[in-house]
Amino acid sequence: MLDLIRRRLLTALPTLFVVVALSFVLMRIAPGGPFDGERPLDPATREALIGAYGLNLPLHEQFFRYISGLVQGDFGPSLVYRDFTVTELVAKGLPVSLTLGALALIVALTLGISAGLFAASRVNRLPDRIIGMVATVLTALPSFVTAPLLVLIFGLSLGWLPVSGWNDGAALNMVLPVIALALPVAGAIAKLTRAGLATSLLEDHVRTARARGLTPLRILFVHALRPALVPVASYVGPAAAGLLTGAVVIETIFAIPGLGRYFVQGALNRDYPLVLGVVVIYAALIIAFNLIADLAYGWLDPRVRG
Amino acid sequence: MNRPLLIALIIIVIAVALPPFLPWGFDTIDWNAVRAGPSLHHPLGTDNVGRDLLARTLIGTRITVGVAVAAALVALVIGTAWGAIAGWVGGRTDELMMRIVDALYALPFMFVVILLMVVFGRSILLVFLGIGAVEWLTMARVVRGQVIQLKERPFIIAAEAAGVAPFAIITRHILPNVAGVAIAYLLLTVPQVVMVESFLSFLGLGVQEPMTSLGILVKEGADDMDIAPIALLLPGGILVALLICLTLGGEALRDRFVR
Repeated sequence: MLDLIRRRLLTALPTLFVVVALSFVLMRIAPGGPFDGERPLDPATREALIGAYGLNLPLHEQFFRYISGLVQGDFGPSLVYRDFTVTELVAKGLPVSLTLGALALIVALTLGISAGLFAASRVNRLPDRIIGMVATVLTALPSFVTAPLLVLIFGLSLGWLPVSGWNDGAALNMVLPVIALALPVAGAIAKLTRAGLATSLLEDHVRTARARGLTPLRILFVHALRPALVPVASYVGPAAAGLLTGAVVIETIFAIPGLGRYFVQGALNRDYPLVLGVVVIYAALIIAFNLIADLAYGWLDPRVRG
Repeated sequence: MNRPLLIALIIIVIAVALPPFLPWGFDTIDWNAVRAGPSLHHPLGTDNVGRDLLARTLIGTRITVGVAVAAALVALVIGTAWGAIAGWVGGRTDELMMRIVDALYALPFMFVVILLMVVFGRSILLVFLGIGAVEWLTMARVVRGQVIQLKERPFIIAAEAAGVAPFAIITRHILPNVAGVAIAYLLLTVPQVVMVESFLSFLGLGVQEPMTSLGILVKEGADDMDIAPIALLLPGGILVALLICLTLGGEALRDRFVR
């Protein structure tokens, strides 16, 4: 197990470095800078600003400065939110985004696996067909369509839940964003669970269990579910990445002060250090999730531990 | 013909053929009807600056689909070329080229696209070039797999023995045989690009005003949904219908070609 982690880290770190280098170069060759606003700045002020942020140094020196700062947890100053460093913005936004994402993942796994179990226990009958159809529609529904719809129904028409805002993480404010974020992932997990169960229910060890007279429920949960969850586990990595991306939209729609919102604001305002910092964080998170998914995979299916 | 594809096709044909017959252009402002409900003049009402919603939705659909098809074609060209070369040459080159694909798979690709948008400005051309440049990875893998299988087939070996140049073998004998699978994956790439484009446009990073796309319309509809839910429901509905139909249609086609 330790060996697996070590090997994964050896490939993960270069990938992360490439992401950082690539984004850095892209950002720097961009035409137009953060100080090219609608109103041109006074040339002296402009020079002073560019000098202060080190934007006049040669590219490799800027890159070196950035990397050495990064290693010490310093993402540089934000060019748009002038009073904050990127590190401070990340420290403010990341916990919010992670709470949102973790809750959505839990909801998606619970909903998806139970729907999958229910469908697989009635293969090819009406409930199975309905769940299959709903799951397909859910996976195709983009979160920026579901979210406004949910707001329209539960926020505006019924008035049960707040329409937007985070309110320092009040439970009521979380319900709609978490559900909107979770639904597409839940659909995909339901499909995977159902497909996995449908095959594992036909396997020899399940037939043996049935022949020994175990109850259908025990067979389903104890003997068939674990192998069926292998594809689900390998999907959790990409799903977590998907949740992070989805969170960008969800945070914008619900005006939640998370990392995704800073990212969009940074992108719209050409705030290089902010965008770069958020991309680095996202890349690191996605790589970490894939690592965790690999480990879960090994736990569920001993054959791949090797 | 499979049914989902037919439905998608009907939507696209309507979006392409109908706008010239409408009295309003997608960016004409009717000062007498700002945020108006459905009427004879505007069958679906107008938006917050008095532009006809039906005309805007149709043009938006057209642009979304146009961008998606163009981007999918970019992905097709890059992916097929990359996969065919890797699969044909084999050995170290293949190893290296596919490792590059693996590495790119690990990138947080939505953020790469946004990065490209930020860097190169927000023009339609770059929206689809950017998306196409990221969406070719699956195509490259699929084509490579096909080429490796084809390479061992007698007619290719015969062509090689007869002294046909490698380039001619690839273009004349290999690519026509990969075409079916490639087209199926092309169809599957289209809904993915539709999703990415709408996502970007929704955030304000994709197609720019006064041009419109389904993503922008959903965004505008969401802003106004307490007054006129139709402004959200119509473009949202078309978007979802397109996504579902194209995905189901593409999957059906793929299952026919790939066993």
